[in-house]
Amino acid sequence: MNAISKLDRRGFLISALAVGGGLSLGVIPTGAQALGKDGEPCEFCPWITIAPDDTVTVQVPTPEIGNGAMTQCAMTVAEELNCAWPTIHAEFASTNRNFQQQNVYANGPGPIYGFFAGRSTNAGRLKPLLQAGASARERLKTAAAQAWKVPVSEVVAKDSVLTHAPTGRTLRYGQVAARAAAVVLDKEPAPKPRSEWTLLGRAAPGKLNNAAIVRGQTQYGMDVRLPNMLYAALMQSPVHGGKLKSYDFEAIRRMPGVHSVVVVDPSEPRVKLPFDSPLPMSTSTAQSAVAVLADHYWQARKALEALPVVWDDGEGARWKSTEQLQDAALAVCESPGKVMLTRGDGAGPLTSGEGRLVEASYLTPYCEHAAIEPLNGTALVTADRVDLWHPSQQSQQAFCVAVEESGVDPKNVYVHQTFVGGGFGRRVFGNDVRMVVAVAKKVPGRPVHVIWSREEVMRQGRYRPMEAAKLSARLDAQGMPVVLRARAAGNGHSLTGLQDSVYAGGAIPNVQMETAVMPIHILTGPYRGPSYNTNAFFAESFIDECAHAANIDPLEYRLKLLAAWPDPHWAKCLKEAATQSGWGQPLPRGQGRGIAISNWSGGGKPNAGTTVAAVARVEVTPAGVLTVHQVDLAVDPGGVVNQDAVRAMMEGGVIFGVNMTLNEGLTVKDGRIVESNFHEYPMVRVAETPTIRIHFGAVSNGERFSEVGEAPVGPVGPAIVNAIFAATGKRIRQTPLRKQDLSWA
Amino acid sequence: MSTTITVNGVVHKVDADPSTPLLWVLRDHLGMTGTKYGCGVAQCGACTVQIDGVAARSCQAPLEALAGVKITTIEGLSADGNHPLQTAWVDLNVPQCGYCQAGVLMAASALLKDNPHPTDADIDAAVTNICRCGSYVRIRAGIHAAAKALHAQHKV
Repeated sequence: MNAISKLDRRGFLISALAVGGGLSLGVIPTGAQALGKDGEPCEFCPWITIAPDDTVTVQVPTPEIGNGAMTQCAMTVAEELNCAWPTIHAEFASTNRNFQQQNVYANGPGPIYGFFAGRSTNAGRLKPLLQAGASARERLKTAAAQAWKVPVSEVVAKDSVLTHAPTGRTLRYGQVAARAAAVVLDKEPAPKPRSEWTLLGRAAPGKLNNAAIVRGQTQYGMDVRLPNMLYAALMQSPVHGGKLKSYDFEAIRRMPGVHSVVVVDPSEPRVKLPFDSPLPMSTSTAQSAVAVLADHYWQARKALEALPVVWDDGEGARWKSTEQLQDAALAVCESPGKVMLTRGDGAGPLTSGEGRLVEASYLTPYCEHAAIEPLNGTALVTADRVDLWHPSQQSQQAFCVAVEESGVDPKNVYVHQTFVGGGFGRRVFGNDVRMVVAVAKKVPGRPVHVIWSREEVMRQGRYRPMEAAKLSARLDAQGMPVVLRARAAGNGHSLTGLQDSVYAGGAIPNVQMETAVMPIHILTGPYRGPSYNTNAFFAESFIDECAHAANIDPLEYRLKLLAAWPDPHWAKCLKEAATQSGWGQPLPRGQGRGIAISNWSGGGKPNAGTTVAAVARVEVTPAGVLTVHQVDLAVDPGGVVNQDAVRAMMEGGVIFGVNMTLNEGLTVKDGRIVESNFHEYPMVRVAETPTIRIHFGAVSNGERFSEVGEAPVGPVGPAIVNAIFAATGKRIRQTPLRKQDLSWA
Repeated sequence: MSTTITVNGVVHKVDADPSTPLLWVLRDHLGMTGTKYGCGVAQCGACTVQIDGVAARSCQAPLEALAGVKITTIEGLSADGNHPLQTAWVDLNVPQCGYCQAGVLMAASALLKDNPHPTDADIDAAVTNICRCGSYVRIRAGIHAAAKALHAQHKV
């Protein structure tokens, strides 16, 4: 009889309730898998097992999409567990276990994005993992003290070794793990204060999975291989929302390896999910589709290309061109929209200032995430069980979608989270999960690996929305804005980027923001820095236009706006980026510097979110050929737990921002997305990468550890167009820049 | 239809249509999943392998053209993951999601074989892979670090 089986249901509930606040903190084991047999790992709590060879395995709820979230969770546990870093391993936590064992990892689905999404450093993540590590450490110490019959206060835990300080006797963690896992502490230890951290904010380990990556051994969704597996090549209605009319299986039946054709019908009845999901299930709806199944993917794909298919394009086909969509969105901005925010007399007339009226309209296009791992997933569906191997960005949402699409009892639905070859928001909603399960359930008993071709990925996105915006400002006699009005239109957007900005947060006294959602069929979704990535471009381009109208240096103008802002680190970020970039120093003709600042997720409040300021230095030839030479970026996420990981996110984010601004933009023809692959949707490569310099001089070391992935995408684009203006006098109000006329002189 | 090919020094008999791209032969017939599918049109470079020591997009190499050549994939880059590029990649924390990196490493190792001291311009020309995470700054640094390490090895 082990200690765990003595824990009754009430005992578990008390341990979980002790933490509360939406997150579960099991600090003791739950369920039958608690104590290992000889040689097996012992479970200290749902988060941590320790094996006799000292290996510590941390169950990580966050998928690893490249941001290091998995490593961060392990590092957080190690901070309190005091284990040697090389002993740490990480696995993806089971969403099935979370369901079956009453939310051992997260109390319910949580707020949007939930606990099983890609973030790792907010207080909600740090606290339970620090507590779990501290609890396990104290139980190891207690077990050693019991073995030595000494007071626990005389035992020190460090680098996976327990030492009896007075005598120098030692035991390794693995040697006492079985005994320690059964220890019930009288009182849970308090995690140490931040000032005593030795790993977090001090060390900067690389990702745990780097060694596997460089050997080609990491298992992404694409690499799942199961016995008797079929491959499926998928084609969805080329016009989103269209319907399959007919197809001719006879035309491909005899092609090599072909097994069958499967149809996905969105109107087919589906069960309603019997519990809440992290994101609305409506974000994961099925699209009308046909899939060819074969022994090998290449066979499936060739057969799909040969399959005669007729589609009913539906409503979306009325949008004949990109220009038609853009014109419609710009026209909507001429009328009042839904008011998202009003401050002061923002709704009043734009006639209240003594200075100039500045007005400008901007356009940003649909953009595709273009993760290099194409969408895919593998499912084995039977009448009473589902196994899904998937590169999800939100494994709890994936679990919910698999339950709903299969209709199988959630107790018998297992999502096996794989590594993810890039997320950027595309794999959050779980519509990819739905298509995989929808295909696989038609071939019960056989695992089916469903693969989107690159062309299918590009044309069946959940895109960054196209958006138009009209911004207006009345300046005072000194040239500073008294009233700012913004109207935006598109599908699937909000004005987050402006609402998160200092301008809406109080720096400009009178503000109103309005949006209009247009009924466009093209499917949209979160894309690195949702809506922020667009609206930072609008806001920071426009403020630059105001500065020019006021004849004030763009840096100085922004510092004036921030003069009374209660969070001084905004101004510090600006000054840091500007100083490091050589702001104000002369440049050759045709070159210019531009500056921009933005904040991701702080809601326009001081000391919140991640603040980033960027200076871009560009060169434009008289014929209009653009080169981005250098980007200096200063960041303040509050506190930093792994500086190298933050730096990597900033470097990658700058490139993402450069690419989004210079290259990305989908075109629409007769309701369909035109671009098919990277030859039509170009990507920045090593050769076009500017010098990127990330600066930490403005870090506030504040209480928060704000998320860092999205933030850098905001200021890069506007810094580039502001630099183009400085270099050429030409104001560019639309992206991608590769399609704009930048010629001058 | 069976074709014989040599991958990482091992001879394999492959039963597949002769037009099947090497990429899918490796992944689906030989179970070597380190080589990745990214675009299928020779744009992204995730499928890069070496054919007779030269970096090549395996999505464009049909099985029928591969008799008698020596194919090297990421699984064969080094015996135990200790190629100087692999070491540099871990030391400099180059990968983010890592999906593209096998292809990048195969392109970079082909470069270093021909050119032990590549300049930035040499790297620009030889490593044309797409990394959506944007690890380019570290890819460049990693190649320079590996070149240095190789130089030091040869001196010993």
